Amino acid sequence: MTDQIREQISALLDGELAAGETGLLVRRMERDTELRRVFASYVIAGESLRSPGGVVASRDFAARVSAALAEGGVAMPVPAPERVAGMPQKWRRPLAGAAVAAGAALAAVLLVQPDAGRERFAGGRAAPPVVPAAAMMPVGGASPTLAQNQRLAGYLVAHGQYATPIGRRVAWSNALATDPGIARMPPEVAGQR
Amino acid sequence: MRRAFIVPLAGVAAIAATSPATAETTARDWLERMTRSLASLHYDGLFIHTAGSQSESMRIVHRTVDGRSVERLVSLDRSGREIVRTPEEVHFYLPDRRVVLVEPRSDDGSLLKALPAPGPQLDALYTLETSPGHRLLRRDVQIVDIRPRDGYRYGYRLWLDADTAMPLRSDVLDAEARTVESIQFTKLEIGEDVSARELEPGVDATGYQWLRPRPEAERRVRQAGWLPRKMPPGFRLVAFRSHSLPGLPMRTQHLIFSDGFASVSVFIEPAAGKGPVPPESTSVGSANAFSTQVNGQVVTAVGEVPPATVREIATSLAPVEPPESVGGP
Repeated sequence: MTDQIREQISALLDGELAAGETGLLVRRMERDTELRRVFASYVIAGESLRSPGGVVASRDFAARVSAALAEGGVAMPVPAPERVAGMPQKWRRPLAGAAVAAGAALAAVLLVQPDAGRERFAGGRAAPPVVPAAAMMPVGGASPTLAQNQRLAGYLVAHGQYATPIGRRVAWSNALATDPGIARMPPEVAGQR
Repeated sequence: MRRAFIVPLAGVAAIAATSPATAETTARDWLERMTRSLASLHYDGLFIHTAGSQSESMRIVHRTVDGRSVERLVSLDRSGREIVRTPEEVHFYLPDRRVVLVEPRSDDGSLLKALPAPGPQLDALYTLETSPGHRLLRRDVQIVDIRPRDGYRYGYRLWLDADTAMPLRSDVLDAEARTVESIQFTKLEIGEDVSARELEPGVDATGYQWLRPRPEAERRVRQAGWLPRKMPPGFRLVAFRSHSLPGLPMRTQHLIFSDGFASVSVFIEPAAGKGPVPPESTSVGSANAFSTQVNGQVVTAVGEVPPATVREIATSLAPVEPPESVGGP
């Protein structure tokens, strides 16, 4: 493992690796078991290992990685057209890099150990289990969406105004998040702690 | 009072926020520095927001104008939604619905009696610890752990920039220290060169429906019309107002409870349909909501707290007769 590769991994995680180099690095990770292990250790065994919660792997990340691998190693989220137009040029490449970094991080996790999400790391420390957002039984068999539930979005925005700055960021991020993140549960489940 | 907290500190915040930490800096010091930095510094960042199985890229731009925070929070992925906090209002753009929800800024309101802030009472409810962290985004990091002493609130692990106390990553943790929600920056610029132009919405809202509160519904109240019979430990009523939410025809009572770090809003509105509506819980990320019907009113508690907390607060509320009004229609 050369220092250059390590620097590339670091740059990738900082969202500062050029798109072309990112594609090459992801492709190389596809073939190189050792590189995947090193990359996973960078992502997970660093700050994340010290986190009580560890890394949350998501299907969304997996989809981005799949796209990266299928389309030549460069994955980007698909912003709404107006977002592309409104986004300053200086953000575009870092955003792509960040998206690839996030996606490639999961790729590394998945490739190191396909049974990701309950990843066991070197040293025998197990990551705590991830809490799924929809762990509760949806009422009526279908989860509502934020678009369907404008009232909840309004509540979150109004609530965020009275929260601490960090609380406001959390509340408003949830208001912005895409719809499938909402789950309804029967009250008896909600009462459980 | 919120304004009393933010405005007097704004003048020194830039200095305080960038002052180097000393060896004796406590977790509460870090939290106070973080709070000041978030409210006072100019910054422009990209972050990954993860809740359960969902992840989204988001961007936040923040500046201060005449000592007041203005910011723009944008979803860079599918929804294209964004929230812009101007000096006077909060605009929530919903491109998928071609709607903009408009809320007046609340932090200048005389109704707000207290700002949730990391004060000394936190020790009774949380344990606070600091530990050195490794570098993130090529910055030295200080980790602050906020662990709840009971199951009525979530914990936080914060990775703070050692220079500015800006959170580079923040995880919301449940009682078993499992991550419920995470915000991790992948890029963060701090400084005066964050352009005010970046606060302009990226959404072309031409033809959108702008939904504003009905001004006649805003009513100054001296006393909350509803009060809790029993509250989770540490939570107290810090503010209340009577107004309407954008797009909703009825007047809403809004009560805000806080334990000094977490906060819960309760919205009370007349029930729309005939007959009682069964209680319902909703979860989005670490935010939980619980709705129930009391005396013909729908009571909904919302907050970044466990489901049981919003349930307990919502079900403990009862009307105070008569609700006192001092002005307004």
